[in-house]
Amino acid sequence: MDIEKRKFFIYTVCSIIFALFVVRLAYLQLFNKEELAKESDKNAVKTITVTPPRGLMYDRNGHVLVDNKPSYTVTITPSQFDKNNLNEVAGILEIPPDELLENLKSFKGTNRFNPAKIKRDVDFKVISFIAENRDRLLGVDYQTDAIRFYPNNFRGSHAFGYASEISEKGLSKQIGDYYKQGDVVGSNGLESTYEPYLRGVKGYDFITVDVKGRELGSLNDGKNDIPPVNGSDLILGMDRDLQEYAEKLMGDSRGAIIAVDPRTGEILCFVSKPDFDLSSFAGKTDHKVFSALLNDPEKPLFNRVVQTKYPPGSTWKMLMSMAAMGEGILTPTSTVACNGSFSYGNRSFADHGAYGNINVTRAIEVSANVFYYKMGLAVGIDNYYKYGKLFGFGQKTGIDIPNETSGLLPSQQYFDKRYGENKWTQGLLVSLGIGQGELGVSPVQMVAYTAALAMNGLYCQPHFVTKIRSNSTGLEEDVKFEQRRIDMPQAYYDAVKKGMFLVVNGNGTAGNIKSSEFTLCGKTGTAQNSSGKNHSWFVGFAPFDDPKIAICVMGENEGWGSSFGAPVAGALMVRYLGGPGKTFDGDIKSVAGGQD
Amino acid sequence: MNKSIFERIDLMLLIVTIAVIICGLLAIFSATYTSGADYFSKQLYFSVIGIIFMIGISFVPPRIIARSSYIIYLLSIVLLVVVLIIGKKISGSRSWFSMGGFGIQPSEFAKIATILALANFLSQGEDAFRNVNRFPEFLKACAIVLIPVLLIMKQPDMGTSLVFLSMILPVLFWVGLSPYVLFIIITPVIAVLGAFFGINYLIGAIVLIGLILLMFKKNAFVAAVVIVLNIAIGYSFDTLYHKLQPYQQKRITAVFDPSTDPLGSGYNVIQSKVAIGSGGLFGKGFLQGTQTQLKFIPEQWTDFIFCMIGEEFGFVGSILILTLYMIIIFKLVNNAYMTKNRFLSVACIGFASIVLFHLVINVGMTIGIMPVIGIPLPMMSYGLSSLLSFLVMMGIAMSAYRYRNQY
Repeated sequence: MDIEKRKFFIYTVCSIIFALFVVRLAYLQLFNKEELAKESDKNAVKTITVTPPRGLMYDRNGHVLVDNKPSYTVTITPSQFDKNNLNEVAGILEIPPDELLENLKSFKGTNRFNPAKIKRDVDFKVISFIAENRDRLLGVDYQTDAIRFYPNNFRGSHAFGYASEISEKGLSKQIGDYYKQGDVVGSNGLESTYEPYLRGVKGYDFITVDVKGRELGSLNDGKNDIPPVNGSDLILGMDRDLQEYAEKLMGDSRGAIIAVDPRTGEILCFVSKPDFDLSSFAGKTDHKVFSALLNDPEKPLFNRVVQTKYPPGSTWKMLMSMAAMGEGILTPTSTVACNGSFSYGNRSFADHGAYGNINVTRAIEVSANVFYYKMGLAVGIDNYYKYGKLFGFGQKTGIDIPNETSGLLPSQQYFDKRYGENKWTQGLLVSLGIGQGELGVSPVQMVAYTAALAMNGLYCQPHFVTKIRSNSTGLEEDVKFEQRRIDMPQAYYDAVKKGMFLVVNGNGTAGNIKSSEFTLCGKTGTAQNSSGKNHSWFVGFAPFDDPKIAICVMGENEGWGSSFGAPVAGALMVRYLGGPGKTFDGDIKSVAGGQD
Repeated sequence: MNKSIFERIDLMLLIVTIAVIICGLLAIFSATYTSGADYFSKQLYFSVIGIIFMIGISFVPPRIIARSSYIIYLLSIVLLVVVLIIGKKISGSRSWFSMGGFGIQPSEFAKIATILALANFLSQGEDAFRNVNRFPEFLKACAIVLIPVLLIMKQPDMGTSLVFLSMILPVLFWVGLSPYVLFIIITPVIAVLGAFFGINYLIGAIVLIGLILLMFKKNAFVAAVVIVLNIAIGYSFDTLYHKLQPYQQKRITAVFDPSTDPLGSGYNVIQSKVAIGSGGLFGKGFLQGTQTQLKFIPEQWTDFIFCMIGEEFGFVGSILILTLYMIIIFKLVNNAYMTKNRFLSVACIGFASIVLFHLVINVGMTIGIMPVIGIPLPMMSYGLSSLLSFLVMMGIAMSAYRYRNQY
């Protein structure tokens, strides 16, 4: 068989195939057309998206923290909607007609045969009107959605965050095409971090419609429907009672409270005040409410636990002690002369008192400034930075909510850049030694650092979520967070912790919160503030032998550490260790004049 | 420079290829019109790049392609192995690399590499093609194709594996496999098809095989062995089939009669038949197809794109598309015939059989005469890897035309 014949053979085979296809197409399109066209007319499917309820959040004892409740969402199917009804529908929905029309035109991510979500959280009155006039208001319908509901007497605004309707920017920036206009997305706090778990997976119902879009019924009795997957629940380390008590104690003050279990880093309570009402974000997002929050001079949207960077004041002294001992400048027993004031260059730095020759434990107990002025200089900027980093400053702790700040931990480089090389002196280290000056820390960094001291160097990444529970399988999955060891001799930790014990139980600056039942430990701090009253700090842990709680309280412009931070932290530690309802046994005295 | 442009560029192939791409773009535009998904501009962008690339390739001398063909082949085998290990799983099969938002399918690349390696191997006879009627040569040629096939079956991607297999027989036939051997190779397919429809059909198929063998007037012993083997194959298929679970049987019968499984594998076929049938002579008009616009057919911009043509442009549009493909296939075969370069000649036949196989399976499936196997319609279905690989094939085929006088 020569090549000519082979070519001819191939041509023949191809031609036969071509002819077969032509015959088949003719059969379908020319001779069977009527029947198939009729089939095609009744053959259209409308897809109804079924959004599953978001997962709930539970506290460590199984109490619901963030719940759902039903609400109504009005939908419009653009292909069916009669424009003559535009004004009436816009009127009952209280949307300007132009905006409604624009919404219908530019609807993203679905086609005009499928219902589009127009307005969420609509009153029942409106829904019953739509139901009554369904025949007239073709294409206007409603569906039941779940919206957030907060069943407790506290807010937890910054911790939980809110889930709100996805913005146009959010839609166009998303990876993939899961979200459609009208969908809800976690935009802050835990709602944002755990969005992929909380949201679940949307399902689809298929409904047969005719060419005019009239519904004929469920396609194949719903056998083809894709059921939604409910969102997974978050189990938090939070303690509902402690959270409620913490928010109450904070009152109208501005500031932050965060407490963790030092053994794990689980967050027990988390307060940032002033805060806002999360339920105002649950349904329709009222732009007026949002912009009022945004423009409030008290900055309620600002998360003071993770976003502030204030100097830590005297709460920094434990870190300086560890640095000085770590670098061999001090031993746990060596003493330093503290004579009431300190001079560097031609400047004099003051102290609250003259303590004589004291060791590191005593220096923490009485919060001796001169001691730490000297340590600041002796440690030097490089070690200052090194130990700061070691205890988690100048970097994010990795807490599982967004927008955390790294704070400010100065280094040689930082000062060189800020003042120019050789244009600054070691004198800066004098103030830095007592936690003042160009140093910025956040309460979450402070609590992680305090917990690490309490645990003899076990540094745990602070986190809310301990488990994620799937609602489809019922399985709970542990969420892993990092832990690391800050490897320093036990004697150093003991010296520092002893000092923190004496701050409360000796002749220290927080003697006002000494408890007869629990060995509370801590350190007060007062951050100098050039633009107003000082900020009050307190960090602490308890019990002394077997720490179960570590806490940081920061009160903006609340003055002395002992007058605001200490009493609040003391009451909370006692509450947590004693259980719900427990209040401080002793009389918490607000020390007149206060102590640093 | 005394040659006219017509002698240097295969204008016919170029124009028809571009025409097919434009039709595909229109169909993708319509298929995604209501969903807002932006497949159209991506495909448009890659079409332009692909066409430039195709023209560029048509200028590469065949010697260079032939020499590098084994290296390219080896590279593609490595890629197929790597994708099995680190590839991205999409709807159950591990056949993609993800690179900066685009999926890359190494099996598309391997398609071309395999054809080129096979062509290079077969063209290396002394003054002629290798003699594939000799068993060792035949086996080696098959091995070149079977290695990638095994790797692709492992992904698993049945459709693409079949595409590879589809080129073996046409290519071997082209280089001189005797029609007698060719026929013997396809007898089991005839037997199994017969067995599927029942024992009477099986007997009919065996008789048919016997008669044809008789017509070749070759060795009677060989003919007897072939017949006995085919009876055994047909019979064991029948037994195996009845041992399958009912749902597995249903999948097989649905291939031939979709109405037996209207919601499983038959679903798309019924819907696409309805879509195409309702198009009538001239179709419902661009963007007017109710079936396609209502998204009754899932992912109609990929494997079921022919539905768009059928519904919106009717019988006339469908025939036009089929004709364009036929021109491409005839043109490829003709290029294979007229080029003096044996390597490119075999390559063109490989390309032609792949385009034909894609066309038959894809269009056949939408009009309900072929099983549902997910392979794209060449240069029309949305899919960047597939588009580029077909354009590379067309580019090489164009070079067969340009260098038709070079040995």
